[in-house]
Amino acid sequence: MKLLIVDDSMIIRNRIARVLEDPRMSHIRVVGMAPNGVDAIELFKMHKPKLVTMDITMPEMDGVECTEQMVRLNPDCNILVVSALSDKATALKALIKGARGFIYKPFSDEQLINAFVELTNS
Amino acid sequence: MSNVTEKDIRSFVDAVSGYFYQISEEQAEINAAFLVEGEISATTFDLTGYITLSGNFSGRVYFSAPRVMVTRLLLIMGEADRSEERLLDAVGEIANTIAGNARKHFGENMEISVPVTAATEHDWLQSVVSPRSYVILVKWKQYKASVVVDIQRTR
Repeated sequence: MKLLIVDDSMIIRNRIARVLEDPRMSHIRVVGMAPNGVDAIELFKMHKPKLVTMDITMPEMDGVECTEQMVRLNPDCNILVVSALSDKATALKALIKGARGFIYKPFSDEQLINAFVELTNS
Repeated sequence: MSNVTEKDIRSFVDAVSGYFYQISEEQAEINAAFLVEGEISATTFDLTGYITLSGNFSGRVYFSAPRVMVTRLLLIMGEADRSEERLLDAVGEIANTIAGNARKHFGENMEISVPVTAATEHDWLQSVVSPRSYVILVKWKQYKASVVVDIQRTR
């Protein structure tokens, strides 16, 4: 299953990629990483990933708008929002736009793995 | 004095405390006070990240830490690259995470910018923040860092 990682922090992008080295995540393969929504849309069109991790606060285009555009391009994609914004309204907004999961930063490896398991099982 | 309440400030203290515990499973020691009260100064360390608020709030939230502490945090996060670029990325991400987590209390009307980062020299924070700022001094392992909350309600 192809995954695109979208986050303006390189540390977070690398962290998510490293968590996916866990044997339980062997069915997921990172096909691209983007630091903002604009680059993410390009990579999304190019690689057609089934899974996306999405930050919210990013330059150029934020994660809510990016989620909306990706879902318009492929309504079947599974978008997991990974954000520090821990208010309910932000999570709700992303879910309304088509995201299928939400995990708050800072996250543990196990929390991220569980979120991927839930997402891929659904 | 700031027009933010003690409850508002508490949300930042909780976010700082929660951040270090989640990252390292160790509680950080926290000492906090309004700058104007003179108990704590707005201590500047080697690297600073900050976010700017808009919406129902204005101002900034800063996270400042010494290189050695940020390097240790990167190590815990499993990041192999400890270049200046990564260290700056880390302080920006920490400022963003602390402010973002505090939004649980403030709600979506506290809008948060993307982080800005810089290598900073001593007294830099003192020169840019207002006297009504709230200073949260963090001691994690043997390292000290500071979070300065310089915000005001606009509505």
